[in-house]
Parts: sequence; C-alpha cells; structure tokens
Amino acid sequence: MSDPSYPDALPAQHRLHWYALERVLGQGGFGITYLARDSNLDQAVAIKEYLPVEVATRRPDASVRSRTEDQGERYRWGLDRFIREARTLARFDHPNIVRVLSVFEHNNTAYMVMRFEEGENLAALLERRRTLPEDELMRVVLPILDGLELVHNAGFIHRDIKPDNIHIRDDGSPVLLDFGSARHSLGHARTVTILVAPGYAPFEQYYSSGENQGPWTDIYSLGATCYRAIAGIAPMDAIARSKGILGSTREILIPAATIGSGRYSAGLLKAIDHALEFSEKDRPQSIAEWRRELSSGSKPVARAAPSTISVTPATAPRPFPASPAAAPAASIRGPLIWATLGAVVAAVVVVLMLQPWKRGDETDATKEKYKSSQEEARLKKDAEDAAKGQRDEAARLAKAEQEKKLVDEQARLETEAKKKAEEAKARHAAEAKKKAEAEKARLDAQARKKADADRAEAQRKHEEELRRAQEAKKAEDAKLASAAAAAAAVPKPPAPSAPAAGPDLIKQAEEASKRGNDAESLALYRKAASAGNAEAQYRLGEIYAAGRGVPQNNSQAYIWLSLAANAGHAGAKSRREQVVGTLQPAEIRQADQVVSKLRPSAQR
Amino acid sequence: MRVGAARAIRRASLYVLAAVLAQGCASKEGIRCAITDINKEFQQQYERILAEKGNRRFTVSPVDAFAGTRAALFRLGMRLETQDPDLGLLSVAAPAPTPLTQEEWKLVAQADLPMMQQLAARCVGLPAYLLKFEPEGLEIVITATILPAQGGSEISLTARMRQVTPPPSGMPRREYAPPTGVHKALDKLWEQIERELGVKGRPI
Repeated sequence: MSDPSYPDALPAQHRLHWYALERVLGQGGFGITYLARDSNLDQAVAIKEYLPVEVATRRPDASVRSRTEDQGERYRWGLDRFIREARTLARFDHPNIVRVLSVFEHNNTAYMVMRFEEGENLAALLERRRTLPEDELMRVVLPILDGLELVHNAGFIHRDIKPDNIHIRDDGSPVLLDFGSARHSLGHARTVTILVAPGYAPFEQYYSSGENQGPWTDIYSLGATCYRAIAGIAPMDAIARSKGILGSTREILIPAATIGSGRYSAGLLKAIDHALEFSEKDRPQSIAEWRRELSSGSKPVARAAPSTISVTPATAPRPFPASPAAAPAASIRGPLIWATLGAVVAAVVVVLMLQPWKRGDETDATKEKYKSSQEEARLKKDAEDAAKGQRDEAARLAKAEQEKKLVDEQARLETEAKKKAEEAKARHAAEAKKKAEAEKARLDAQARKKADADRAEAQRKHEEELRRAQEAKKAEDAKLASAAAAAAAVPKPPAPSAPAAGPDLIKQAEEASKRGNDAESLALYRKAASAGNAEAQYRLGEIYAAGRGVPQNNSQAYIWLSLAANAGHAGAKSRREQVVGTLQPAEIRQADQVVSKLRPSAQR
Repeated sequence: MRVGAARAIRRASLYVLAAVLAQGCASKEGIRCAITDINKEFQQQYERILAEKGNRRFTVSPVDAFAGTRAALFRLGMRLETQDPDLGLLSVAAPAPTPLTQEEWKLVAQADLPMMQQLAARCVGLPAYLLKFEPEGLEIVITATILPAQGGSEISLTARMRQVTPPPSGMPRREYAPPTGVHKALDKLWEQIERELGVKGRPI
C-alpha cells in the first residue's frame, strides 16, 4: 500500500495469518478493504479491516486502538458488531450477495474475509456509458433484488446501496458488495450509523435513529440507482428534496417518468418513482412488492402519480418528516405549491367566514368575496406558473439529455478513432518488431554459419599441421632408420647393449653437426639420449639451453640435463645449476615431474 | 597470462624515473625495490593459484591429452615454440595479453592495478600511482606437460612473461603475471582443453 491516499492502511505484503495484503481496494468510514492473497488456497480475496476512523487509529505496531479512552467502549462495541455481522453474513450464500468467507480478530481489530469479485463496478460502468438500456438495467437490478430479499428476510438492511457497491462480474451477473454498514434492523437503535451516499440515501437515513428504516430504505437506494442508470445523473439529494418539499426552494425531483419518457417502459419508470417517494411509507414496503412493480409495470395502490398535479387545495400534504404511524395516502411529490395553494385558500375561506364584517356589510362582503376570488385566481395562476416551470425544467433536462447524447456519440466516435489509430500503431510496431527479429535471426544464423566455418577452417588447419608433423616425424624416423642402418653397417663389438650404442650415435651426431645437418644431429642425439646415454642427454640439454638449431627452451634443457646428472654426468650437474636459475620454481617442479615420470622410458 | 605486468613494470620504471627526475626524490634503488616487491607479491600469489588450479587429471590417454592440449592452445591463439611428445612437453607463446582478450585484460588491470600501485608506493611513494598495466612488448609463454597417470593423463600448466627486448635499465627482469590474469587465463585454458578432450578434468 504505502499509498498516501490511505495513510491508515497496512503496507503491501503485510501478512495476516496466511493472507498477504496486496493493495487497498477502498476505504470507508468503518474500515479499509484490501485485496489480498490467500496463500493456503492461492486465491485472491477481499479483506475488510474494522477501522472506524472517527474513534480509532492505527499504531506503529499495526494494531488499531481507540483514539481516546472514552472512545474505547464505543470502539469495542462496534468491533463486536462487526464480528457478529460478519458471522451472520457468512451464512448467506447467494450468487448476488458478496460471499463472506471468514472473520478473525488480529491487531486488536477484526478482519472480514470476502470472496474477491473480478469485473467492473456499476459506478464505473455508468461513468463510462452514462445510461443503461432497460433490459440491461433489469439484468442488474432483478438479481440484486433476489439477494437483497434474502438479507432483508434475515432482518438485515444494507443501508449503503449505490452504484459503487454493485459489482458487475465479467459474465454480466451483478453482486452486491460492502455490507460494512449493514446493521441489524430489529431493536438496536444504537446500531444506526449515519453513512449516507448523497442522492442514494433516503431522508430517514439522515435524521432517523433507525426505527423507521427498513427494506424501504434499501428500496429507495436501489430506485436511486435505477434513476441514475436512466437519467445519467443521481437523483437529487434527500436533504435538497426536503427543502423543495417544504417550499424553501424550488428544488423538486424531476420524476423518472419525465426524464425517461419514450426511452423506458412506463412501468419501469413508475416503479422507480415509487421507490423514490420521499416518505418511507409511500414507498414499496418489501422487495417482493417492488419486484412485482418492476416486473409487471403495475402502478402501486394508493400511490399518487408523481408527475400529476391532482392534489386538491383542500387536501393538506402529510406533515414532514412523517412519523411511521402517520401514513398519508396521497403523494406529496407533486408541486407543493398546489398544496400550499389549497391550504392558503382554505385559510382564506376560514378567515373570511370568521370575519365579523362578513355578517354586517354586504358590500364589504361582496368586496371581500371579490378580493377572495381575485386571490384565488392569483394563487391559481401561481400554481399554473409553477407547473409550467416544472414542464420547462423537464424540457430543459430533455434537451440537455439530447445534447449529452450527441456529445457522448461524438466522444464515442473519437474514442473509436483513437482506438483504431492505436491499434494500427501497435500493428505497425508489431510488424517492425517481427521484421527486426527476423533480421536478427538472419544475422545470428549468418554469424553462426561464419563461426562454424571458422571453426572448420581452424580444425582443417590443425589437422593439416598434425599431418605435416606426422610427415616430418616419418621423415625423421626414416632418417633415423637410415642412420641406424648406416650405423648397423659399421662393424660393432659383439656386446650390443643399448647404452653401448650411444657413443656411436653420438659420433654420428657430431659428424652430422659438422656437416651442418642439425636436424640429423638432433635426431641422433635424441635416439642416444632416449636410450639412456648420459652424454647424449647432456648434449641435448646444451642444445636446448643454447637454442642451437632449435627454439631455446630452458625447461627442456633442464629435463635432459637432469637426466644426465642423475646418471652421474658431472658436467650436466653444473650446467643444470646454471639453467635452473632461469626457471621459475613452478617450472622447475613441472620439469622435475617429467624427469621422475620419464626416467624409465628415457632409459629405454 | 597477464603479461602486461612486466610491460607495466617496465613502463612503471619509466614513470617512476620520470617522477624521480621531476621530483628529485625517488632513487634507482627505490624503483628496484618496488619492482622486486611487486615480483615477490605476484610470485607468491602465482604459486598459490598454480597449487590450486595448475594441474588436472583426465581420463584420456597421454597421446590424446597431448593432441587435445596442443589443439586447445592453438585455438586460443598461441603458437608452437617447441614440442616433445616423448617427453610430454609442449611450449607455446603469443604476444600478450593472449590467451586473454583485450576486454578480459582490462578487467585484470582494473582488479590488480591498485594492489600493484600500493606495493610500489611503499618504495617510491606517490609516483607509484603512475604505474599502468600495458601488455605491449611482452609475450606470454605457456609450458604444458602431459604425463601418463593412473587411469589417464595428468596435464600441468605454467606461464611466464617474456620481454621481447630486454630492459636497458638493468632492472630485475623476472616478472610474474598479475594474479587476476593468472586466474582468468587458467580458467580459460582448462575450459578449452576440456572442450577439446570432451571430458572434464579433475583438479589435483
């Protein structure tokens, strides 16, 4: 994490048992939700950490503590609720309700482990597409209703339904997320926490202590979500609506029936408007009821059409906020001016009836009656003006919608063109890369071929050299054979021991040297030296030490001189002492090794 | 092997002499002392390295081992000086830094130059830091012995630097290759010999 946006979050790779945190998915008033990996099952999960920022904070040791001692009790109480709720939610196994897998306490707080859902948030989808067609909207809403009904039947309400908390999986199925603010709805006034999403939360969530919240609260939020999907904007916030209804402003919610007219079925639009009734008692009271409206498009019983101006002046609007016991049948959605008008007219009539001058002076009464009719006409005109204003506003919104559509279409075309350009660029890049790779492969192959050729050439040269060496050796052997034959032709003493042949070979070698035939001389010395003749070995050592007719090589000289010295040649000993001074210790050891290993064969 | 050291030392001598002339404070004895110290240190390290990786035993006949060693040395750019298959002796030579490449030689210089400068500095002071490793003017001579051993052959390698022209200064001329150069060259030689013989050698 290490994300400055989430200063209270645990760091990335932080481990909670066998869960390794990867990043923050989001943070709300109650806690932080992380994307994590279950290392046991090797799967991604979402983990919600209880961290009510109002009363608690993160400590350096990763634990969560209440900010003050006074807040400790509140924190602990919320923590208990969090755990209890997680346990309850874990019982729900519905494809459209986020699956709670586990809950555990750690770091002095608790963690709710949930299945991580891949896909796209409905808010993001709407941000991208602005509106959804009816069939697509139904595919999102109806499954959510199924899941939500299950939750409601268990005595829970979600209290935070909004596009951000509806996830669309890759297969298009929706799932309702984030029950973090869910609270048991029965008999726990203290459980109510004001967590409202402007535009999606009904008025009772702003002020209520919880007793008048129920399924209708979630229905309002779902209706608002539908409103967002058809209008492209969220409905007016409940607080603003309350001001409009109370007459302090002209902010009145434009009904879905007006905004979506012609694009969505009347039944759907009416169901949405019904869900968005300001007063909770005017809304559908259960998911089943609202589902029927959505599915059948039937108008709910005792529900005034929000777009009609049918409230008579004599019908006073239900006071707001309404107590749960008072359930007016008529809608207060219509222009309240009409209601105000009715009340004013009624008041005028009462006042007129109570005026003392009404009974005495007929002229005055006539005048007052005239004045009253004038006032009534004025009020009627005001109401008509208000209605006209609303129609104008609706027309303006419709026009804005049309303009927005054009802009969206333009943006879509631009996006497509940009996408195509990027695709073409990527294609060109891929082709260029492919070409470069092909060229590299060709050059590599060429280099390999050349290397192979070089290797073959080197091998050929090497073999040629060996062949020449062999030929030279053959020639040398032939010469030696010839010399030996010549030597053999010379009459010899009968004792033909090998060392005895040495002096003759030395003599022949000396003669060959006199004739300038160093090669023959060397060959004869070698033959005698190899036969163990110390003098020949000494002379070979001298030849190599001096580099006479051969490349100078002190190691070779040392070897032959050592062999001669070992055989008792006095001159060789002193000469070897001279040569050894030119050698490195390692070279001496190396040559000594040869001498020791070679002595038997050298004596042959 | 690292031949450049000799050359470097020769050059170093010139540098040091230049420094002496410039400063009037370094003596010929100082230079001799520096070169001797460097030789001594390099020799000690050379002996240690040879003890570790100077000999290997192969499960091939001495004849094959001789031919393989010869081929390997040729392939690394060495030329034949003398060979005696009967003795099992083979000597090759090439201009330094062969058998190392110039790139390998640069790495050797980077690794060992500071040590050489520090050694010289004890005798000549700051001018020691003018020393450079330069392989020009030097030859590398490698001597290989290939002897029969139980179950195959035993190959031994030694290397020395040889100056193409003797130094006119009369300074000590026994130089050893820098330790990193010896390491690298031996590794390269054994690798090539093993490739030629087709078997891995076992250090002795």
